[in-house]
Amino acid sequence: MAPEPETAKPAKTAMKLPVLVSSPVDVGRLVRELQVIDESMLQLKLRKGTAAVRLPKTSQLMDQTAQLNKLNLLHVADRKQLQTFLETVVAKAPVLHISFSADPSVPFIEKLITWLRREIHPQILLTIGLQPNTGAGCMVRSTNHYFDFTLRKKFADNHQLLLDKLAPKAGKT
Amino acid sequence: MTIWWLALILATIGSAGIAFIWLAVRLGRNAPAAKLGSKNPAGTIESAAKEDVDRIFNNEFREELRNRGRLHFEKIIGENAMFLQQDLRLTMSQLNEFMKDEITNKLKEEFGKYEESIDDAKQLAIDSIQKTNVAIDEQRHVLSDQVQQEILAEKQQLMKRFEDNMADIVNHYVLAAVGSQIDLTDQLDYILSEMETNKKAIIEDILSGA
Repeated sequence: MAPEPETAKPAKTAMKLPVLVSSPVDVGRLVRELQVIDESMLQLKLRKGTAAVRLPKTSQLMDQTAQLNKLNLLHVADRKQLQTFLETVVAKAPVLHISFSADPSVPFIEKLITWLRREIHPQILLTIGLQPNTGAGCMVRSTNHYFDFTLRKKFADNHQLLLDKLAPKAGKT
Repeated sequence: MTIWWLALILATIGSAGIAFIWLAVRLGRNAPAAKLGSKNPAGTIESAAKEDVDRIFNNEFREELRNRGRLHFEKIIGENAMFLQQDLRLTMSQLNEFMKDEITNKLKEEFGKYEESIDDAKQLAIDSIQKTNVAIDEQRHVLSDQVQQEILAEKQQLMKRFEDNMADIVNHYVLAAVGSQIDLTDQLDYILSEMETNKKAIIEDILSGA
């Protein structure tokens, strides 16, 4: 019997975040966009019989979110459900701060967030930082911990090994 | 100068002697006749001599002698004045020559001393400069040795520091050289493996720290 994957338990909801929504800023954008949609729909409802009200154009993030969760944003109930979910995410989703030596590309972030949401937490969010002196790898800062996965840390851990390898050669010169 | 004076005095004495001899010869021719007339009595001889003296050295003769003496004296005075003048001129010229020579010699001597003192001062200055040069050379050698020692010590210290921090240097070099060359995509597997290793700690931190 295969052991269950060790993942943190998500909030009691079946909704998911698309991989493009990776940071609290993206969630904030979704919240604001949903508010705009709500207001547009309210205006549409109030102006019934008059000139047509243009619905705001939804972003790719909102489209993916709605599509992933099978929501129809024209329905009030679906919008309400999405709003509740987003508020829950803003309030409770764990946030990891990861620093790289260079700006990561979008596919890289997608792969990373996919792994993190599969292995760590389904609603986990990322904030990306930049540490050019790390060489390679990354530094992860969670709520209370700091994880150094950089090449610099690896070198520091193997300092004595490098010294042992270099010392005889240096002694010969 | 002295020879002229001596010749002049000898000439004077000679002329006076000749005049006395001539006078004696002349008186001697007249004397036998007078001696024959007063030969016997002794008192008459003395009186005859006195008369002869009075007759010979009468006033005219005395006046003539006085005039002759005066003339001779004036002549001597004149000659002496001329000789004195010549001598004075000669003396003046000699004195001038002497003064000129003395001054020249003195000046030469002083200039010689001056040149000697200048040479001494120059030699002293050269010696001083040479001593200063020698001291500067010595100081330069000392300073050069010190600088060499300092450089050697600094080099050894740098080498020691380099050996002590060789690992850090290698790390830094590798990080600087490799860090910018590795693409993040290539690092993904490494990052995910590290996260997989620390997954439990991350999950516990997320659950406990929320």
